[in-house]
Amino acid sequence: MTRQEIEKEIRAVLLREFEVENPEPDVNLREAYGFDSIDAIELLLEIERFLGTELTQAEKKKAMDIRTLNQIIDYVEMLAHHRKNEAEKA
Amino acid sequence: MPQRRVVITAASAISPIGHGRKPIVESLVNGKSGVAALREDHLMSRFIHSRVYGTVGYPIAYDFSRQYRKTMGPVSYYACQVAREVLEQAGLPPDFVTGGRLGIAFGSIHGSPTVQRDIYRIFFEAKDKATFQGIGAVDYLKSMVHTTAVNISKMFGITGRIISSGTACTTASQSIGFGYEAVKYGLQDAMICGGADEYDTITVAVFDNLLACSTAFNDRPGETPRPFDRARDGLVVAEGAGAVMLEEYEFARKRGATILAEVIGFACNSNGGDLILPNLDGITKTLRLGLENAQINASDVDLVSAHATATKMGDIIEAQATGRVFGTQPRVVALKSYMGHTMAACGAVETVLTIYMMQEGFIAPTLHLEEIDERCAMIRHVQKLEEIPVKTAAIQNFAFGGVNTCLMIRKLT
Repeated sequence: MTRQEIEKEIRAVLLREFEVENPEPDVNLREAYGFDSIDAIELLLEIERFLGTELTQAEKKKAMDIRTLNQIIDYVEMLAHHRKNEAEKA
Repeated sequence: MPQRRVVITAASAISPIGHGRKPIVESLVNGKSGVAALREDHLMSRFIHSRVYGTVGYPIAYDFSRQYRKTMGPVSYYACQVAREVLEQAGLPPDFVTGGRLGIAFGSIHGSPTVQRDIYRIFFEAKDKATFQGIGAVDYLKSMVHTTAVNISKMFGITGRIISSGTACTTASQSIGFGYEAVKYGLQDAMICGGADEYDTITVAVFDNLLACSTAFNDRPGETPRPFDRARDGLVVAEGAGAVMLEEYEFARKRGATILAEVIGFACNSNGGDLILPNLDGITKTLRLGLENAQINASDVDLVSAHATATKMGDIIEAQATGRVFGTQPRVVALKSYMGHTMAACGAVETVLTIYMMQEGFIAPTLHLEEIDERCAMIRHVQKLEEIPVKTAAIQNFAFGGVNTCLMIRKLT
């Protein structure tokens, strides 16, 4: 999955599930859209769905400091990379 | 302890007979019932003997952004809407609303049963971890017992105290009473008070299994419940919400607020015994305590808004207690005859309707009261609309668990 594909998916989820429309990549989502910890938990469920993988508690906790769209994309990119490596090792 | 006067500066209700003053007054004047057929829930509603329900059967134009909607079950939609309306009506300064001297007393009988049902469906049906994750991060916030009060607090940035009574049918009357006491004793300068309940089949099932629900009018929903009438056969469960804004009198007067009525007294006690059966001594004592707290005589009361759910024994005991304390002078109306029993909301809805009648100068009759049960005949029932001024009213509510309340309000002249 490319970064562009991840961004497209995240933007679609933000709009569909959180009514966040066209956020600037580095804007603080909490300050600009009231995107809080409850939303973060729900976003993680969406990420699990579109990656088709379950996140560990440790992975989820890492997401709690995320504030911007770019950080979300970085996080998903990191997860996708880890899952790919795990699959290759297996 | 210094005591301050407390006034009502705004009132609103979402009820089976309308939303807000104009449609509700029209329904009262025209004798229009809000009881309809029980809603199909595709779960247990088909097993329920009572096929009637006090239904909010009209659309409500909510305008809540997702930021607020995400923690709200249906009950909080009702609660936040009536809270918004009383805030708008009262016109309190924005810095006062958020400044800590405005509090909230608001409740429901058990949060949001719709959300709870979805949680338990997952609980009992979960076969794997993915299903388990269907329990959302916000499901508790949507369904918890104080969900109405805290969603109001969040939506309007209110930072004062939160009181969230959950005493079944006295939830809202306690909200107003405890809010009144908070302002009276200087703990807050204003309180948004009320109650709400959403459609819930389980509540109907509980009363149905207790043989307390009306069943004889299943084919004519608009003719039941029938408080104090010989043909009454039980209560009708209903949905809705009601809210009032209470303010300290001098604060309200100085800012030029419209004062709808004054809260002059409140009493609450418990029967200390059976949790279901109405208790003549307990209720009688509550009504006497209400008069005592308001420092008025029984002869000062013009109108009694009876709890009167239309159960056989409940109505008889209430009529006896009302007769003992107030005699035959005050007119007595059973407002549940129009819409059924709105549960946690009823104390607030009935207070709002009483205020509307005070403002408009009429007393609505108890709907369907065609032949008074002789065991309830010791009080002055209203059977036809009467265009007379109401100065002082007693609003009575009683709940499962043996909780009794009496709220006294007076129109300022």
